[in-house]
Amino acid sequence: MFREFTLFTLALRNLRRKPFRTGVLIIAIGLLVASILFVLSFVRRVDSSIKTASDRLGADLLIVPTGSRGAAEDVLLENKVKTFFMDKSIVDRVKNIEGISDVTYQTYLVTIVGSCCDVPETLVIAFNQDTDFVIKPWLSKELGRRLNKGEAIVGHESAFNIKIGLTEVDSVLFGNMFKMVGVLDKTGTGLDTAIFIDEENIEDIMKKGKSDLKPGQISAIFARVEKGYDPYLVAGEVEDTIVETDTMSRRDIGKDLINTLRDFSRIFSMTVMLASILSVFLVWTVFSAIANERSREVGIMRAIGAKESHIVKIYFLEVLVIGSIGGIVGIISGTTFSFFAAKSFMILKDLSSDLTVLERSSISVVSFLSGTGICMVGALLPINRIKKMEPLLAIKEE
Amino acid sequence: MSQIEIADISKTYAIGDISINAVDNVSLKIDKGDFVSIVGHSGSGKTTLLSIIGGIIGPTSGSVVYDGMDICSLNDDKLSEYRSEKIGFMFQFASLLPILTVKENVILPGLFSKKGLGDNIKKAEQYLDMVGIGDKADAYPSQLSGGQQRRVAIARALINNPEVILADEPTGDLDEETEAEIMDLFKRLNREKRVTFIFITHNLDLARQAQRQVQMKNGLLNEVLL
Ligand SMILES: Nc1ncnc2c1ncn2[C@@H]1O[C@H](COP(=O)(O)OP(=O)(O)O)[C@@H](O)[C@H]1O
Ligand SMILES: [Mg+2]
Repeated sequence: MFREFTLFTLALRNLRRKPFRTGVLIIAIGLLVASILFVLSFVRRVDSSIKTASDRLGADLLIVPTGSRGAAEDVLLENKVKTFFMDKSIVDRVKNIEGISDVTYQTYLVTIVGSCCDVPETLVIAFNQDTDFVIKPWLSKELGRRLNKGEAIVGHESAFNIKIGLTEVDSVLFGNMFKMVGVLDKTGTGLDTAIFIDEENIEDIMKKGKSDLKPGQISAIFARVEKGYDPYLVAGEVEDTIVETDTMSRRDIGKDLINTLRDFSRIFSMTVMLASILSVFLVWTVFSAIANERSREVGIMRAIGAKESHIVKIYFLEVLVIGSIGGIVGIISGTTFSFFAAKSFMILKDLSSDLTVLERSSISVVSFLSGTGICMVGALLPINRIKKMEPLLAIKEE
Repeated sequence: MSQIEIADISKTYAIGDISINAVDNVSLKIDKGDFVSIVGHSGSGKTTLLSIIGGIIGPTSGSVVYDGMDICSLNDDKLSEYRSEKIGFMFQFASLLPILTVKENVILPGLFSKKGLGDNIKKAEQYLDMVGIGDKADAYPSQLSGGQQRRVAIARALINNPEVILADEPTGDLDEETEAEIMDLFKRLNREKRVTFIFITHNLDLARQAQRQVQMKNGLLNEVLL
């Protein structure tokens, strides 16, 4: 034990002399780090889920029935189950607009367990395999061939829900038997919770009468814009020409959601800022008290040869220990909290993308450093005062 | 050249409008290996003088030259080094750190010294045995009597092998027997290692055991010629 007698020993002993005060500081820093971590994760998740979702759809324009803009965003960005319909003839009218290159479309159906289907409420997306460019990139690797009639492929998340992959199951969808032939790659969009079938199946589905879909209806049109055309202008052109539609360009998709979530982010960030300022004051107060309590001890250390730098080291080590333990406590509790929050907060539950391990670790590191940094900032002035304690204090009576 | 040359030092304290000359124009030369006692009434300036020599406070005027080095002109780091490497100080009042055990208190100066801890642990045990509290090495200062704490402070002052030991009433609360032992220890270190000793005492018998004796009165210093 004596081999390890260092300045660090002094710092640890100092912390142990008032365990309650040390504990309160550690908990305070822990809470701060936890909230920084939670907020950073939230902001990061919001940003990445919106960006990836609109990018990954692979379309420049999304055309939906007038008034269904929000519903379409809910489906594509938030994993919600919603349907909306427009006439299929609109596809050709979109094709004819100048600047549009590729066009494909999808039809959305909702399964209702018991009445038509044997899977829980899920969005079923019927798509046209000849023109499709939205699903295919995620499909090719898995299947390596076209989907046949009576076959379905399921999104990454719903695969888990209906246990595909663990056991091969066939499901009844809208009164028809479907063979689940594979799982779509993870897209990080609302597609992850859907089931995909070819549009050929629609005829059979309607024959059984178990869906509210009417003949000749589709839900959404995806379009690509020719090189050299501005997607914004083309979107405007589509809306002007076809009044039955709302058109969003890639960057507009999710704009309302972004704004709402950005407001959340802002409120959270402000709260964390206030918490940080409070923590600085807390550390400042505690270390000012420490400076007063231990002035004579510091004077004695100075009188027997300690330099200012020794004193500074002892006290910074003390702060560092509080900051690090608080940081670790904060990372553990913050991660746990984020995990449960993601399950119970509607707004987080519906975000399709999750954070990568790299993102999680960098957020942890940043939160940890912020917590420790805030400790340091709070202790800066008091430590500066502590190091100026005069050796002369050693010759005075207590 | 003497080891310590004190030339015309004064220390003035201002309390409100009144100023006190705690040390008044004192000059003194101390050679390596000198054994000096300081006597004087309470408030005569003994502690102030000893602290100036030890680099703990600076004089208002005058100079203290140690081995040719003017310690009053040293920067804070160099002055700390001077305190750490050259001087062993025993303070008049309790001066142990409550968070450290007796043994840790004794080796503490090593943490601040360029030489580091070295074999201080073994030495600490020896010194603690020597001052008669070897069995208390792992106790905390709060578990010791005032006299026992003073002995720990003595061991601490010796640990860095100082060239000069400045002791402010080192045997104050000690019984006569221990007092004699401590004086024997001082004399032995003085004889064998040529450590310079300057100590303050109220005990005239002790003072007379020194090779040089000085008296202080109202900040003024007088050497008793033997
Ligand atoms: N820090 C200080 N501030 C003001 N006056 C002081 C201070 N230190 C000592 N004095 C005064 O200086 C005089 C000498 O004190 P000191 O050197 O402690 O005397 P001694 O050690 O001989 O008892 C006393 O009058 C004391 O009150
Ligand atoms: Mg005194």
